[in-house]
Amino acid sequence: MEKVSGTHSFLNGRSRWLRAVGLSLLFAVALSGTALGQLAVTGTVTSPGGAPLSGVTVRVNGTDIRTVTDPSGKYRISAPTDAVLTFTGVGHRPVQTTVAGRTTVDVTMAAISYLEEVVVTAYTSQRRADITGAVSSVNVEAANKQTQASVLKALDAAVPGVTVLSNGSPGSRSTVRIRGIGSFQNNDPIYIVDGAPAGDAYMNSLNPDDIASIQVLKDASAAAIYGAQAGNGVVIIETNRKGVAGPPQVTLRVRTGVASPVSGYNDILLTNSLDYFQVLRQRYLNAGLPVPTTVYGDPNSPSVPNYTWADPSTVCATCRDALGRVVTADPSKYSYPNALIMPGSQGTDWWKAVWGSAPVSDYNLDVKGGSDANAYNVSFNYYDQAGTAKYNDFRRGSVRVNTSFNRSKLNFGENIAISTDRHYGGIPNDNGGEGGILSKDILLQPVISIYDINGNFAGGKGVPGVNSSNPLQNAFNAKDNVAKDNVVFGSVFGGLDLSPQLTFKTKLGFNLTQNSAVGYGWTTPQNNEANTSNSIFENNFQSTDWVWSNIAQYLKTFSRSSFDLLVGQEASAGNNRFLQGSINNLLNTDLNSRYVQDALGDPNTKNVFSSGGRNALMSFFGKAGYNYADKYVASFTLRKDGSSNLGPTHRWGTFPAAGLGWRITNEPFLANNRILSDVMLRYGWGVTGNQNIPSGRIVSQFGGDRGDTFYDITGSNTSIVPGFRQTALGNPDLKWEENRSTNVGADIALFEGNLNVVLDVYNRATNNLLFAPSTPAAAGVASPPIVNIGKMENKGFDFSVGHQGSWWNATLNGSHYKNKIVSIDGVQTFFYGPNQTRIGNIAINMLGQPIGSFYGYIADGFFRDAADVTAHATQAGAAPGRIKFRDVNGDGVINNSDRTIIGSPHPKFTAGLDLGAHRGNWDASATIFGTYGNKIFENQMDFYVFQDFASNVRKDLLANSWTPTNLNAKYPRLDFNDIYSGAASSFYVKDGSYTRLRSMQLGYTLPSGARYLPGARVYLQGENLFTHTNYDGLDPAMPAGNAFGAAGDIRDQLMGVDQGSYPSNKIVSIGIVTKF
Amino acid sequence: MATLSKKSLLRGTAVMILATAMLYGCKDFLSTASEPQGTLNQTTLANRAGVEGSLIAAYRALDCTDATSSNWGCAASNWVFGSVASDDSYKGSDGLDQPPINDIEGYHWGTPGAGDYLNTKWTQVYEGVVRANSTLRLLKQVKASSPTTFSTADANSIAGEAIFLRAHYHFEAWRMWGNVPYYREDDADFRKPNIDSAAVAVEILKDLDSAIKLLPTTPRNGQVGRASQWTAKAYRGRVETYTKQWAAAVATFKDIQSNGPYRLETSSDRVWSAYQDASNGPETIFAYQASSNDGEPNAANSNYGERLNFPYSPSHFACCGFDPPSQNLVNAFLVDPASGLPLSITAPTTWNTSNGPFVAGNMTPVDPRLDWTVGRDGVPFKDWGNYSIAWVRDPQNGGPYMPKKIIHEKGSGAEATVGWQPQQQSSINIHLYRYADLLLMLAEADVEQGDLPGAMTIVNQIRARAAVTAQGPGTDRASMAIPINDPRITWATYKVSPYLTFPSVAYARQAVQTERRLELAMEGQRFFDLRRYGTVADVINSYITGLPTISGGAENTRRLYKQGAEPIIAKHRWYAIPNLQVELSRVGGVDMLKQNTGW
Repeated sequence: MEKVSGTHSFLNGRSRWLRAVGLSLLFAVALSGTALGQLAVTGTVTSPGGAPLSGVTVRVNGTDIRTVTDPSGKYRISAPTDAVLTFTGVGHRPVQTTVAGRTTVDVTMAAISYLEEVVVTAYTSQRRADITGAVSSVNVEAANKQTQASVLKALDAAVPGVTVLSNGSPGSRSTVRIRGIGSFQNNDPIYIVDGAPAGDAYMNSLNPDDIASIQVLKDASAAAIYGAQAGNGVVIIETNRKGVAGPPQVTLRVRTGVASPVSGYNDILLTNSLDYFQVLRQRYLNAGLPVPTTVYGDPNSPSVPNYTWADPSTVCATCRDALGRVVTADPSKYSYPNALIMPGSQGTDWWKAVWGSAPVSDYNLDVKGGSDANAYNVSFNYYDQAGTAKYNDFRRGSVRVNTSFNRSKLNFGENIAISTDRHYGGIPNDNGGEGGILSKDILLQPVISIYDINGNFAGGKGVPGVNSSNPLQNAFNAKDNVAKDNVVFGSVFGGLDLSPQLTFKTKLGFNLTQNSAVGYGWTTPQNNEANTSNSIFENNFQSTDWVWSNIAQYLKTFSRSSFDLLVGQEASAGNNRFLQGSINNLLNTDLNSRYVQDALGDPNTKNVFSSGGRNALMSFFGKAGYNYADKYVASFTLRKDGSSNLGPTHRWGTFPAAGLGWRITNEPFLANNRILSDVMLRYGWGVTGNQNIPSGRIVSQFGGDRGDTFYDITGSNTSIVPGFRQTALGNPDLKWEENRSTNVGADIALFEGNLNVVLDVYNRATNNLLFAPSTPAAAGVASPPIVNIGKMENKGFDFSVGHQGSWWNATLNGSHYKNKIVSIDGVQTFFYGPNQTRIGNIAINMLGQPIGSFYGYIADGFFRDAADVTAHATQAGAAPGRIKFRDVNGDGVINNSDRTIIGSPHPKFTAGLDLGAHRGNWDASATIFGTYGNKIFENQMDFYVFQDFASNVRKDLLANSWTPTNLNAKYPRLDFNDIYSGAASSFYVKDGSYTRLRSMQLGYTLPSGARYLPGARVYLQGENLFTHTNYDGLDPAMPAGNAFGAAGDIRDQLMGVDQGSYPSNKIVSIGIVTKF
Repeated sequence: MATLSKKSLLRGTAVMILATAMLYGCKDFLSTASEPQGTLNQTTLANRAGVEGSLIAAYRALDCTDATSSNWGCAASNWVFGSVASDDSYKGSDGLDQPPINDIEGYHWGTPGAGDYLNTKWTQVYEGVVRANSTLRLLKQVKASSPTTFSTADANSIAGEAIFLRAHYHFEAWRMWGNVPYYREDDADFRKPNIDSAAVAVEILKDLDSAIKLLPTTPRNGQVGRASQWTAKAYRGRVETYTKQWAAAVATFKDIQSNGPYRLETSSDRVWSAYQDASNGPETIFAYQASSNDGEPNAANSNYGERLNFPYSPSHFACCGFDPPSQNLVNAFLVDPASGLPLSITAPTTWNTSNGPFVAGNMTPVDPRLDWTVGRDGVPFKDWGNYSIAWVRDPQNGGPYMPKKIIHEKGSGAEATVGWQPQQQSSINIHLYRYADLLLMLAEADVEQGDLPGAMTIVNQIRARAAVTAQGPGTDRASMAIPINDPRITWATYKVSPYLTFPSVAYARQAVQTERRLELAMEGQRFFDLRRYGTVADVINSYITGLPTISGGAENTRRLYKQGAEPIIAKHRWYAIPNLQVELSRVGGVDMLKQNTGW
């Protein structure tokens, strides 16, 4: 035994905590292997057919003694003579047996049939065999092999029919879509965590290691019991509520690694100043213009300037060369911010300046235990992921307490998680909008230095055309911009078993959230478009949501049939309040002075704002299930919901659903077949709803704003008087958005369960879409009324095929959906998606087309020569080497009406492949994800090809641009006067398909007899190590940018637009899981 | 182990059921939660404060508002549609910045980009109409429910102001698109068909006549931002001029000239000035009342619509280099040394041959208004020190000059301290209509009525005012504007003399139109004036190609991108109605808004 000396000094903070853990570990090591009065037990574990099963964990109950079977299924373990041994193996039903003095204990383990799983769906749990809807269970273990703040990021590879869009920014949002997109706005599914509804925002606060199971209810027949909120699907998450009987069992999971971006702009863009000049020069020469000399001097022998900017006051009369470039500047006259001197750079690699590798760590400790009368599970988590962009960090700490108590017929308990997280750097959901850390600023020219001669941040001042900011400064100055989320989420519940058949349950769920953010806006005297006043803001959002549900369940089994009935009632309500203050022109920018107070800044600039919202839902529901001889299964669901968001006369909606199942293998005609072990055919139909709109929109709203309706009527030039206008048009007839879906599926187990296939085909139609179609400007700029109008349709299929072998397993899942807008408002044939780029409307929602289709001209290559220009339809600015747009309507003129659909951001097919293997103490696993057929609108080309705002350019731009001798070039002719080729066209549309090795893990379980950490599993993990794609932008995996319309989130209308998205992370990490 | 008694079980169940029953017995549960938060409702506003506030909001829509401005098409001055589209200015900045303005400047008004800008203008003016009409409805409601709330005088003035504003906004729409729909307070159908441009003018005049009857002779409450009877009369004359009702125009204008409150400012420096004492001078008929440092955190109430039109870094303003005056405009300020008359009058085929840049020290005589209108190299820039070509964002693209009228004086203290680029934001008022504009329209009408001496008197009155001050060295207010022959002036020779005779109607017409260009240059009027004169195709096409009327001076050789400009043809009579609005007007598959001919 190792000696623990008493002479150590306690360290601070985390290391002290780690040391304490270490001591505990040592203590555990010391304990194991010291028990007395033991037998050496050996045995073989086999399948019912006699095949040896390796990798089966054999554990002595109530102790930490364990081992694993070898490839021949044999094991050896020492156990007390009266011990109980538990055998557990992946895909097999656990077996417990008593030693009872034997020295040889052989065990047969049956594979678990897929259909025998018990899954939690909607207020209760069900046998898989009784489920007639489309319900996918997530392999939580595989999902957790990715180092993510939110478990959602892994769902697309894990669940057929689910797409997830997210970026690599730590703690960023994951946008989950189940079976396509049903609505023009707000398509987030609802998350039910331990019975309480949660929004997407909570998912970053939920520790993935606390999750015991995730079920995705994909069709209405499964989800209809959640009625009004289930229109976009339901994700049911259960946390580790079950403790185990016995003494406290402690599990420690530690994972730590290093992340780096999967790709960088330095792979794509020039990093040498003189190379950049060659592009610039060519653009001027081809335009017939003199090449500017102010930065690079003589175009025929260009040189990097000594200074890109030196304030005139620092430059003597003779300190300029013949071209006016500054040769020497007087550093003693440097004065920040008025007289700056910025050196020229041979080539700044802006990507490298901001992006690099970053640590990521995840610590989990949980303690489980209990007795017959109670069970507890307490877990602690600390997660820290630094961004691969500098000064950008996400940290989360959480504590969860799940307990349950049984007292005869009464049981009660609670699940509560307290979590707090911090996003540093102010960019958790940076989606590339200009001003973000990535976007346009990272495309700064290489000739600009990072720092000026005094170490302050340098910028584009003096370099013509540059209006971007120093991206490193952006990151640095935002480092103290912190967003905090504090959440208490949980539920208390009680149940009463009145009789074996009849049970009552009541549950009160709550979600108390407090979010806050502080932000700092800095000055940029080194920029062409200098910002000279700084500012701060601070805000606080608080919300209280509660839900109270009461259900009664009755179960009755007759000889060959069983019947269950569930009736329930639920009420929920939420309210929130937001308060923001800001002030400009701080006297002191020290962190300790960044408060919104009159004395700290310019009191005239102080601005305070508050807003709020309320809503309530009331629901009644029932569900009846019938099972005859495990052969015929039927279920019926009915839910009625009333929502405060809707018009008084349309408040209540009814959501019926029905499901039928036929377990065909239980029919006599299939009784003796050897192939089909278990086949269940399913049919489901149902209606779900959506009422996810801002509250209070049933009446018109009025308001005003100092910058919108207030006016200086007295002509004072310094004061304004209040004014009001209508801000939103109400619609008292608002009703539910209605989602009807039909699902036909089959659950098939082949070859005694060695191959499991799940296949679903669906048709999902949304009617009465809640949507705020634009009103004519004659109705004013008030938010248009939200109306129930429009139809959308998603048809598709999803499947999974899995094999659970004795030493390996593989699951392939795939999905396809086709989204179509069937009707907008009966009048409009289209409306544009959010207009958030500099090249105008690029996304359109058009009848018969998928939501968020790309829109523009069709680029038909380049004009070959003058004759080609003449022969072509009249096109503004047409010239050889410029992009030729197709005359779609054949009217001989290229104009508005020649724009058309030029691509869809929706994948044709997505697939995930999960692989696992174990041999002896070793195990390995991998997850591969792929998406095919989706297009990306590479908006960044506006900058790195067309050089909007004198941006840096692609490495191959000079070599691959059109010239009379390079007619099949990749890019149009470099031409300073070509302001035409950059119009929105198919030139920007690229194939966004990719296949990515999402995760790979190699693990080793130490033998139970190991000297150190017996039974612990250590692993090496790699994520996103390999990507195959033809996309030549930064990263084909990108989220839809944040976009909000009058009636909420409309990000689905701007999918697949590359505005510079935080790239995914390549992470290599090591981890350990140990129990003691 | 203790077990629960049956009694307590029952009791527990009973409590649960009772609580549940209470919850859904409580009918208010849903309706209470449906009340909107953080907003006002119609009832809250049905009173004096509501009506007055609604009217204030109707005034506010004169320039870009937070709620509508997605680009700069909303600017009160119409700099995109009135100046850049004319021979006054270029888009400026660099070639790829705000590309929709390239389309406006190149007369490609059917492009998606141009459509965005046009839609912003359309949205802005109809938002003004909506706000004016809401005021009228609310006023009616309050008058009906609580007749004593307003005195008759107040009620009349409020109605008059709202009707006047409605006329103004429709006028803006009308001079852009001609055939537009007209909305009054009782209209509930927002997909009305557009009406013929002549009919629109009738409607505008109808509203102006109502406003004239209702409005007091001085602005209500002495608040200079409000319209008075004289404002509405002045507008009436403007519409009469636009519709060539010359006799009516002369009558209207002469009434204002004799009986109205307006006069020319004493000197040019006071016309566009951010000094408070000059911001609502006698020349102001109607202006957007800009304010800065008024507690609004983004300086949105300042000269917001003009905020791009400032010199670039390293000037004090730092951004953005839009709307630079054209070489053609600079040349228009050249003066015949002998007569002191515009060179374009005395040498109509050679005045525009100089390709510039016209910089300090070139002593060719110029009209002193040049240096109140155009920033040029080496010449003092109001009181900001000498303008430098280094302040130009991209001279190759936009030429060496920058606009000057909207620049606030350093000494005025009008500059904002907040918002994006606060140094481009000030409380300088934006003239929507000033007395010189009115006088020159009277001169125009006089010419058409054959009163050439009357026209010449007015032109000379304007020229006499122009001769009072020129740009001075500009270290303080006193030295910013000095007599035009002051020896401190080393950068230019200023000369502006009166006409001695208008020998013919054609000459007079040319003289009045030229004077109007010089006096109102860069104020967003020029393109609309050219259309009104019926000379827009001639003037613009020769502005771009130099042909057929002017030798040399083709802008498509000065600014090469202008080679992509379309020639002005019949369809350019009106701007294209924004496609989006045409789409949105569709009822039963039929576009209620009919697109203008040719678009």
